[in-house]
Amino acid sequence: MTTTTILAALLATSAFAQTANLGPFSNSGDVGAPTRSGSTQFDAATGEFRITGSGANMWAKQDQFQFAWREITGNFTITATMRFLGQGAEHRKAGIMLRQSLDTDATYMDVLMHGNGMPALQWRSRKGEDTNAFDLPLLEPGTYKLKLVRTGVKMHMYLAKAGAEAVRVANTEVAFTGPILVGLAVCSHDAKASDTVVFSDVTVESAPAPAPRVP
Amino acid sequence: MQGSTEFDAATGQYKITGSGTDIWGRADQFRYLWREVSGDFTFTATTKFLTDGIAHRKAVLMLRKSLDPDSAYLDLALHGDGTPVVQFRNAKGDTTNTVDLVTAGPGVWKLRVVRKGGTVTFWAAKDGAPLLELGHTLTNLGNPFLLGLGVSSHSQTAVNTVLFSDVSLEMPPAARK
Repeated sequence: MTTTTILAALLATSAFAQTANLGPFSNSGDVGAPTRSGSTQFDAATGEFRITGSGANMWAKQDQFQFAWREITGNFTITATMRFLGQGAEHRKAGIMLRQSLDTDATYMDVLMHGNGMPALQWRSRKGEDTNAFDLPLLEPGTYKLKLVRTGVKMHMYLAKAGAEAVRVANTEVAFTGPILVGLAVCSHDAKASDTVVFSDVTVESAPAPAPRVP
Repeated sequence: MQGSTEFDAATGQYKITGSGTDIWGRADQFRYLWREVSGDFTFTATTKFLTDGIAHRKAVLMLRKSLDPDSAYLDLALHGDGTPVVQFRNAKGDTTNTVDLVTAGPGVWKLRVVRKGGTVTFWAAKDGAPLLELGHTLTNLGNPFLLGLGVSSHSQTAVNTVLFSDVSLEMPPAARK
């Protein structure tokens, strides 16, 4: 661990209470004050997250969901394998999210699965704006592998049914600035419901810093 | 550089030559062939690049609010290198959003854009393969809008010529308001 990483972790800890070992993440909590509280449980032995989230939606100018996250700067790759437990709204959402801040209307980008098996990329280009969305053709409901690679403003989405290698399906562009939050998000798409999603094999890897420029 | 549009009534083919920096950011430069449309539609065309050029030169099936360079728009674009991309500017003067899809390489691509209410679905197929859905997005363009074919060379100093064939526009008998 570098001095910078330790410092960042300490700062993150001071700003948001860290209650448990969250593996690759440092914090968890509800964004957007959903009526029903969510929760994040991490089993260090199996590396599995069990994230329960509520919330009307992550959409338009306002997001409500449960988030487990860490701060990150620069380029990186995050992967997760996920499955929905139980039934819920067709468009309940779970996946990988990048977010400029914890504000309900923050700039964000996510690669996610809907409960009915529809993969999507969604993003809010600037704080307070409406969400943009691109929905990919429906997959069968089941277990999915999601991967997101950030290279500058480009956000690459990789996807597979579990067991297969995740393949690149699309990329979009979002102009984040400075440190951002990277994590896992769960939203029930129904303020009166909660959904639980199991995430496993979650990895977050920073890309090596670019070589110093030769003057 | 100036563009041009030629239509061959015997074959139903359009040969469109366009220049322009790009269809991107806050302002577009390209050659456009259009008609005014309201409501739902299925718009299909087969594209073939006839000139070499920059990998990201574009042939597009587009919905556009106006002819202003910074107009709201939504298109299914094919890059010269065979990458299909869905791009849109939500409001006049705003910047372009993009979703780059996976390329199967350069070739003759059949493209289809289907609008149903606020949902627009995109299809593509290379070299005679069956059309596959790429995905869908939502649009707030409203009615009416300008629907057509566009060509940009992605360079002020180059032109790009694209042959569009089997161009069809189908609309339901009872078009939406």
